[in-house]
Amino acid sequence: MQTKENAMTDTPSAVEKPTDPAIESGLERLTPERIRQVIQQVLKKETGPRFKAYVETCMRCGLCADACSYFLSNDRDPQFMPAAKVKNTVWQMLKKDGNVSRDFLRRAVRISHLECNACKRCAMYCPFGIDIAYMMLLVRRICHKLEITPQYIQDTVNSHSVTLNQMWVKDDEWIDTLQWQEEDARDEFEDLQIPLDKVGADIMYSVIAPEPKFQAGLIYQAATMMHAAGMDWTMPSSPGWDNSNMAMYTGDNEISGRIARKFFETAAKLRVKRIVMGECGHAFRSVYDMGNRWNSWVMPPFEVVHALAFYHELLTQGRITIKEKYKKKVTLHDPCNVSRGRGLHDKAREVVNLVCKDFVEMTPNREHNYCCGAGGGVINCGPPYKGERMVNNRVKAEQLAATGAEVLIAPCHNCHSGLEDIIQHYDLKMEIKFLGDLIYETMEKKIYEPEA
Amino acid sequence: MNSFIAFIMGPMVWISVIIFLGGLIFKLVGILGAVRQKEPYIYSYVTLKHSLRSIGAWLIPFFPRSARLSPVYYGISYLFHILLFLVPLFLASHIVLINEAFQISWPALNDSVADVLTLGVIAALIFFAVRRIRVPEVKYLTGAMDYLLILVVLLPFLTGFLAYHQWVAYQWITVIHILSGELMLIIIPFSRFSHMLNAPLTRAYMGSEFGHVRQARDW
Amino acid sequence: MNGKTSWDWETELKEVPFDEWKTRFNWVQAPQVSQNGENIAAVVNLDDMAFSVCVNGKIWEGEYEKIWSLTPVSDSGFAAFVARDEEWTLSVNGQEWTHWCDFIWQMMKSQDGRVLGAAFQSDSEYGVIVNDTPWEDRYENLTGAVMTANGTSAAVVQVASMPGADVEAFRKGVFSVACNGIPEDRRFLNIWDISFDSAGRQIGYGVRTDRETYGIVQNDTLWENRFESVWKPEFLDENSLLAPVRINGKWQLYKNDAPFWKRRYDQLWHLTLSPDGKDVAAIVSTPYGRWSVAVNDTVWDVTWDTMISDIHFSKDGSSLAAVYKHKDVWDLAVNQTSWEMAADMVFVPCMSPDGRVVAVVIQKQGQYQLVVNKKTVASGFSFMADPVISSDGSKVLLKGIENGIYKRRIIRV
Repeated sequence: MQTKENAMTDTPSAVEKPTDPAIESGLERLTPERIRQVIQQVLKKETGPRFKAYVETCMRCGLCADACSYFLSNDRDPQFMPAAKVKNTVWQMLKKDGNVSRDFLRRAVRISHLECNACKRCAMYCPFGIDIAYMMLLVRRICHKLEITPQYIQDTVNSHSVTLNQMWVKDDEWIDTLQWQEEDARDEFEDLQIPLDKVGADIMYSVIAPEPKFQAGLIYQAATMMHAAGMDWTMPSSPGWDNSNMAMYTGDNEISGRIARKFFETAAKLRVKRIVMGECGHAFRSVYDMGNRWNSWVMPPFEVVHALAFYHELLTQGRITIKEKYKKKVTLHDPCNVSRGRGLHDKAREVVNLVCKDFVEMTPNREHNYCCGAGGGVINCGPPYKGERMVNNRVKAEQLAATGAEVLIAPCHNCHSGLEDIIQHYDLKMEIKFLGDLIYETMEKKIYEPEA
Repeated sequence: MNSFIAFIMGPMVWISVIIFLGGLIFKLVGILGAVRQKEPYIYSYVTLKHSLRSIGAWLIPFFPRSARLSPVYYGISYLFHILLFLVPLFLASHIVLINEAFQISWPALNDSVADVLTLGVIAALIFFAVRRIRVPEVKYLTGAMDYLLILVVLLPFLTGFLAYHQWVAYQWITVIHILSGELMLIIIPFSRFSHMLNAPLTRAYMGSEFGHVRQARDW
Repeated sequence: MNGKTSWDWETELKEVPFDEWKTRFNWVQAPQVSQNGENIAAVVNLDDMAFSVCVNGKIWEGEYEKIWSLTPVSDSGFAAFVARDEEWTLSVNGQEWTHWCDFIWQMMKSQDGRVLGAAFQSDSEYGVIVNDTPWEDRYENLTGAVMTANGTSAAVVQVASMPGADVEAFRKGVFSVACNGIPEDRRFLNIWDISFDSAGRQIGYGVRTDRETYGIVQNDTLWENRFESVWKPEFLDENSLLAPVRINGKWQLYKNDAPFWKRRYDQLWHLTLSPDGKDVAAIVSTPYGRWSVAVNDTVWDVTWDTMISDIHFSKDGSSLAAVYKHKDVWDLAVNQTSWEMAADMVFVPCMSPDGRVVAVVIQKQGQYQLVVNKKTVASGFSFMADPVISSDGSKVLLKGIENGIYKRRIIRV
């Protein structure tokens, strides 16, 4: 895909680079003083011994290279190895004490936002456990403060800051969508409800904004499962329903914290016992791991149950029964944020085996999976970057093709969209489904009755 | 000359050992203090259990997937680190010197075995240098400092080897051997060799984030 | 919070057979109970796309395609959003407002129930409606509506168009506060958390002035100081606005643009003022990950590891109750003393005016219990609304469902 010569130049891939209006107009506004001040402020004031140790400790051994799907997909081009991304951003910033050029920053935006999924796979391949994703997020924070974040992902953060959801879903559109899904779902269960704001319910069900915006059917499916399983559940009618958090990925920690606060305080106001969320990875990470920390919650104040774990609970407790197992040959993609991020990969396999007849593994898998290439906010940088995203994740396409499966299960929104693109681009002849799609398709549509 | 040799074999040894140990201790205290002051949340996430789990997993040869992907480098590196401590600490002539000073001693390596092991260390260092030139992703990261660090380790072993065989300029070689050994000790706390201290700490932190928060393995 | 003397504090028990409704109607939604406990109501399904509200067994006159947000208002009534022919309005005790719109949400009510408001949308334009009178000006978008007891309303409104993904337009600020529908001149990137003083005349809110700078607006004036972030401000009195602000990663309480509390906390939110305005309390975190309550910048001696969800003063300010979670269970603490209930959930506590009697509903093993001054006085209920305490503190009003029967019970303390 790439010749050896240009592999060593500063042009990272053969794909043409789009110009991003937000990056360009942001760069134009910058002065050397501003650049220096922001870099110094973030790298000196906002970091501590952890960052210092990472910078001091790296022995340049190169073991992180084989961890990175960008490196592997680009014919082992060294520029894509994790440590090189640090070298070309953080090390230079430190060395020059923040006196870096606009061209340097243009490259730094790209490296941190488009050439790293913050998947943390490399942290598992570094003998010292150096967290390069953390350093890429530091670079993104610098970009955020310098206002040179790519346009599309910045727009999602803007949406978060105004509506507390990712997709500019207006307050009324949200409620209207839930009522519409409830109405539709009554064709299957005549007394089905999506209970809004039910104080004291056991479960608050929460989704990400793309569901009401584009994939309302997923809310329908979830409501059907909740109803059939006889759960005491509710959904909030007010902002705080969206568990996604793109601000976490642009380094806008303040907005990220604000989103997470609203989310958990919505659960507190509704007096629920736990939060169940749909099949999303980054949102899961935001609420179980990152958003909570900025607010001084060591761990999320409410138990957050990812859809995978929830399906596992419903199926193993017999609250939902499978009428007939799914017949096609399926394979399972482990989303970083639920497997490497939360160890749910074994439960996921149990669920797949309960629902499907013919399951084949892709390798490597579980904690060692390859990222979908869309994660960490990369896909959220928008359509202009789709081409390079495809090139940058060839290794995933090869991994998928090797399974020979007809259906790919991707229990995460980001992965879902990213892999859909991969399947199309590499012409893989696979269907892609959420795990919920398969459960909905195969479950018995009857209401659970506990044994007396 | 004799008084110089007396100095580098006497007070200077003390000085370098004190700088080496003191530097590492000072550094550790500094890190722990800075964590408390600037990143106190880290203490909320580090657990002893998961720290040891992670460090342990990474000490088992070829256990982490990363090691299995690069078995040659990992294997050589693993042996190199053992020899780095084993050879100087169990070298008969070192033990003799310590015995003279403190009247303590411990079993020594057979001289010819030690000689071969020293060659092993030297070979490993040459391998590291060649790898820095030959493997593109390593080359991309490598700077002058990386060769310098190899040189710093190479010198005491190479001169030790030469001094033992007494082929040329024995006295000068010995002086360089002593000095370069002391230099290595002294710069450990102030160079990337401080990974001796940092690596267990970063590993413990990442191991805890994975084990405790992420409930996943990190090897 | 405190029961009125005109209420029936004498009849020990009144009952409504609630479960009967479930056979009478196709299905029944979660019930709501009036503040005085005399009435229980629920949205009920009569037919396909035909809903009504059933109150003590009697249904509202109108039938609607949809009903939602059933809410107790005034002492004994209920309001809800209702839809007919794809148009929405608000109905109070079955009486529809005259103004219909494309959608209506966020029910707002005054304590006495005389003023009711909501956000609404018609023809993709947004506004606020108070007591059936909509704002004259409409906006492209509207968030965070608030309303005072005297009917003043305000919301964050979008005052300029912003094409999709136009980050440059956003950067210049397209949001403003509209008070009673009229927008203020000043625009910001973001506006959050509008607060009024008790008379409804002074207004304060948090803003973001650029990508990383936050401020507080107090009656048209943006504070001079800028911060890393801000939380909801509250008026101490008409001349004093308090706000938690973030400086160098820590939170501090400011008053009128100057430090008010000295200490800086890892977190500081839910500003709560005693009704006499003498004491200021807040939920705080210090050190990282530990939660406590600060009253006038003095932190309680106890800390908890998970969360404090809300804090409440008694009318005289002598008691402060905190609902908190620690080691996976919920509990209540009154003036630093934990009740040690280890509940699955603790609801909003109610206090007598002198703060001596505290009553709270909790959930344990799927059942509701009423706890008064640490003592469980009723249990085994399948549902309970928050209790009320008589103004002399001698009686507690329990409102709940036991064995399918709604019970309004007076309990002597």
